[in-house]
Amino acid sequence: MLTPLKAWIRPDSFHAVLSERSVRWYNACLRITRDADLAADAVQEALLKAWDRRDEFRGESDLDTWIHRIALNAAIDLMRRRKPQATQELDVDQLVAAPAGAPDNEYVQQALGRDLVTAMQRLTTMERHTFVLKHIEGWRLEEIAESLHTNINNTKQALFRAVRKLRVDLHVWRGES
Amino acid sequence: MISDDDLLLYYYRDGLDAAERGRIGTALAEHPELAQRLHRLVAQLDTVAEAPEVPVPPHIEQRWQNALEQAARAAHRTNWAAARTGARFRTSFRWQALAATIVAVAILVTVQVSLRSPPDRVGAVTPQPTTTQRSPVPDATAYERGLQWHLASTEQRLASLESAQPDERAQLIESIIEQNRLYALAAERANEPQLARTLRAFTPILESLANERRDTDASDRAQLNFELRVVQARLKAAADPSPPAQSIAL
Repeated sequence: MLTPLKAWIRPDSFHAVLSERSVRWYNACLRITRDADLAADAVQEALLKAWDRRDEFRGESDLDTWIHRIALNAAIDLMRRRKPQATQELDVDQLVAAPAGAPDNEYVQQALGRDLVTAMQRLTTMERHTFVLKHIEGWRLEEIAESLHTNINNTKQALFRAVRKLRVDLHVWRGES
Repeated sequence: MISDDDLLLYYYRDGLDAAERGRIGTALAEHPELAQRLHRLVAQLDTVAEAPEVPVPPHIEQRWQNALEQAARAAHRTNWAAARTGARFRTSFRWQALAATIVAVAILVTVQVSLRSPPDRVGAVTPQPTTTQRSPVPDATAYERGLQWHLASTEQRLASLESAQPDERAQLIESIIEQNRLYALAAERANEPQLARTLRAFTPILESLANERRDTDASDRAQLNFELRVVQARLKAAADPSPPAQSIAL
């Protein structure tokens, strides 16, 4: 005897990629928002958008990459919509990974994490978004400009300023002067 | 004089015209100290990417899973309501999509088997889409050979379904579903969760074919299309691994 038709089709590929890649999406959004709740909201928004628009997924990139990109744009949009006073409510601990591994390594990783958070904190929102999207996410300058509602020249200048500030704050980690 | 800003854009391969890129490339080749400067710059910036990842709190991950399942249920309910208003079901699309998905899975299996085989034997594991005598497949496991046979045989049996009587049709589909279930289990045991999921995704479609439902099912179609594209994207990625985007030779 045949079993009855399932009440609804499970979005299996979404669940699978969510289990495998959610940490990566969450951390990417966290770099943009510097707020754990906003990052979580951005990932959720991206998942639901991707599900609604799954007809538009053309297979030109991986499903993971597609959702990752939607999540970053969602994070940028959430930042744009958020209230200005929320900028002050940064909790450094929520942006630094919990210790793991050998004690020495724990110390180094935590110290690096804290210094990175502090260094990123010194950047303006525009500088931070531009640097993250360019250096870590590998977006094209014109894609960044479009997403941040600006032009390529402003994007370049924000990137240069971000790099200068970060080099000052992070040179100790590479032993450079 | 080449500034750090120019070096950075050269590294990103973005934001410089061809002449500027050429000029900086020549200078880097001629002046090791400039190349060293670029290397230091990139190393410093890469420190940012080395930041340890923050784990996702379990309740947040659960929230995402729940949101996704709710969206899937909502889509199904909407679709069900549309079916009641009398929208038409397009059988031909289902058949084509199902056949295409089976072919995609067959290719996926072939690629996986080929990737596991030593280079000199890669050509020996091409699946034979018939049930007749075929050449032995030295490196494929019994499970993989069985799976290839199952996919080829399913494709053939589906092709004969349209001309079958209702009773025969139901029996045939029931046997395909049962076989499919066993192969999905075997795929899971063989540590192939993606394949197992794809095989399971056939079941509701086969069931609806058996029930000869005439309601429209846009969600089924969208989902089937989507699953097919996911498999195709993975095949494309496996066949054509792209080089690292941010690499530079110094």
